Amino acid sequence: MDNVDKPAIRLSGLKKRYGSGDAAVDALKGVDMTLWPGEVVGLVGPSGSGKSTLLKCLGAVIEPTGGRMELAGEVIYDNEWKIPDLRALRRDRIGFVFQAPYLIPFLDVTDNVALLPMLAGQDKATARKRALELLTALDIQHRAGAQVSQLSGGEQQRVAIARSLANHAPVILADEPTAPLDSERALTVVRILNDMAVQYRTSIIVVTHDEKIIPTFKRIYHIRDGRTHEEAGEGRPL
Amino acid sequence: MINLASRDILHGWGKFLFTGIGLGLLIGATLTMAGVFRGMVDDGQVLIDNSGADLWVVQQGTLGPYAEPSSIRDDVWRGIAGIQGVAETGNAAYLTIQMQHGGKDTRVMIVGIEVDRPGRPGAPPYLTFGRPILQGHYEAIADEKSGHKLGERVRIRRHDYTIVGLTRRMVSSSGDPMIFVPLKDAQEIQFLKDNDALVNERARTAANPAFNRPGVPGLLEAAQASAAQARNVNTVLVRLAPDANADTVAGEIQRWKRLTAYTKAQMEDILIAKLIATSARQIGMFLVILAIVTAAIVAFIIYTMTLAKVREIAVLKLIGAQNRTIAGMILQQALGLGVIGFLVGRISAGLWGPAFPKYVLLLPQDAIGGFAIVMTICALASLFAIRAALSIDPAEAIGG
Repeated sequence: MDNVDKPAIRLSGLKKRYGSGDAAVDALKGVDMTLWPGEVVGLVGPSGSGKSTLLKCLGAVIEPTGGRMELAGEVIYDNEWKIPDLRALRRDRIGFVFQAPYLIPFLDVTDNVALLPMLAGQDKATARKRALELLTALDIQHRAGAQVSQLSGGEQQRVAIARSLANHAPVILADEPTAPLDSERALTVVRILNDMAVQYRTSIIVVTHDEKIIPTFKRIYHIRDGRTHEEAGEGRPL
Repeated sequence: MINLASRDILHGWGKFLFTGIGLGLLIGATLTMAGVFRGMVDDGQVLIDNSGADLWVVQQGTLGPYAEPSSIRDDVWRGIAGIQGVAETGNAAYLTIQMQHGGKDTRVMIVGIEVDRPGRPGAPPYLTFGRPILQGHYEAIADEKSGHKLGERVRIRRHDYTIVGLTRRMVSSSGDPMIFVPLKDAQEIQFLKDNDALVNERARTAANPAFNRPGVPGLLEAAQASAAQARNVNTVLVRLAPDANADTVAGEIQRWKRLTAYTKAQMEDILIAKLIATSARQIGMFLVILAIVTAAIVAFIIYTMTLAKVREIAVLKLIGAQNRTIAGMILQQALGLGVIGFLVGRISAGLWGPAFPKYVLLLPQDAIGGFAIVMTICALASLFAIRAALSIDPAEAIGG
């Protein structure tokens, strides 16, 4: 890969301020973070610490108010957006996995995954082929034609992971992906994320409160009062 | 690319179908209103066409015989028949009355026609059953809409008539079915007074010294006989020779006979433009209101359907769907709703239209125009929902 020696994500002094004047709130006060390709790191912190704000900045959903962001070696933000089409950036280079799967209920499993490549311009057949590859990799190919409502919570989350990988995104942002799952299924999802990170050289940030899965990360970023500090995780085998 | 709109519709087809049916019933009511207007126009048109006349000669200065009362002597046709360009004339009397039929009051238009020679203007151009009137009295031809059957005896004022023929789409400009009777009977129905009125009138005439002079025998009898005669008709219908110019002949009649003559175009103007103008405006207003209500309902439905998909739309925007993809989905759903609504509306109007007491005419061009208007309304109504969808923040898909 071209960017094998470059960080998948590098944040330097990333800031986000909501409001202005006396009502201003500094949600991020200079976040530094580096993720390498194929790495899964945890992002933990109490409520209101800035986790979601950081995730939204990383996902190009909200605009930071200062600092610098690099994605796979390319500067995407340096006190202003350097990429004109943020939707295309999200579509092609960032995958999202949410607390709830948020699949499109009127599409079947395969089309939920194939939608992303199709939005990027791929033809239907190619997109569906890619979707089936991912569903097979996630061991859910047997539900390829099912409606979303027919899947269990764990199955839906696997489909959501497959969707996040559909466009070969170098970065996946996972927001509490195991919150609605029991311990066994939660650990299964984390194992899948780790496997996918290795298989597709994708960097994954997992925002979580889940005590069950925190010990599985090799690296953890703690966020408190808008600042991060890094520490080594246990990296407990799954 | 997957068609998101059709997938969403198929996913919730029941809700979509029932919403479309509800909308369709409203569209059906709108199409029916348009059909009522068209029916009124058509009633006026068939009245003109079925009379078989090219000119209507009426009392001077009136808009007769359908829009205003007109009374002319029944022998003026002789002078009219002699004018160059006139091929055929026929006296006609028109009178709308209320009569009992099957225990119910029915409004009918009695038409008096000359039966001495078939093919005179005024007679029904075709019969669906039975035969033309052959006797000079007490036979009638009824429009099927009146509910009369062949051979039935019906009472009109003081006499019983036998229905010898049935015809179709012979109605007045108000949509009342016509009953054709011999002219003399119609004159009697229209102009002849009843017995008590005649006795009173004779007594009044006898008391008038001008008509009851001792030195002039026979004067009183002559005056009373004259008062009792029914020698008037409402119009003389004129059929022109093939090469005759209607305006020229009408001008000649007006110039020499001190009567008013209307051409077909003028009669159409009287019946369609003037007589139903207020009703047309009334229906037009109602159609505008219905269109606004339809637009409001479609906008509300599409808006509600869109707001029910906030999370999905936020996810779509988050994963990179362009605005045109989302707007296209909403627009296609609105148009889909319009198509279902229009089909249901058109079918509904076709089913309940014949049950209306007056003629409801659903023209294909009205259906095409209505379809275009429904689609336009749906497209415009979807703009509110599209605006709402495009303002959804993709961050709503991310918690916190």
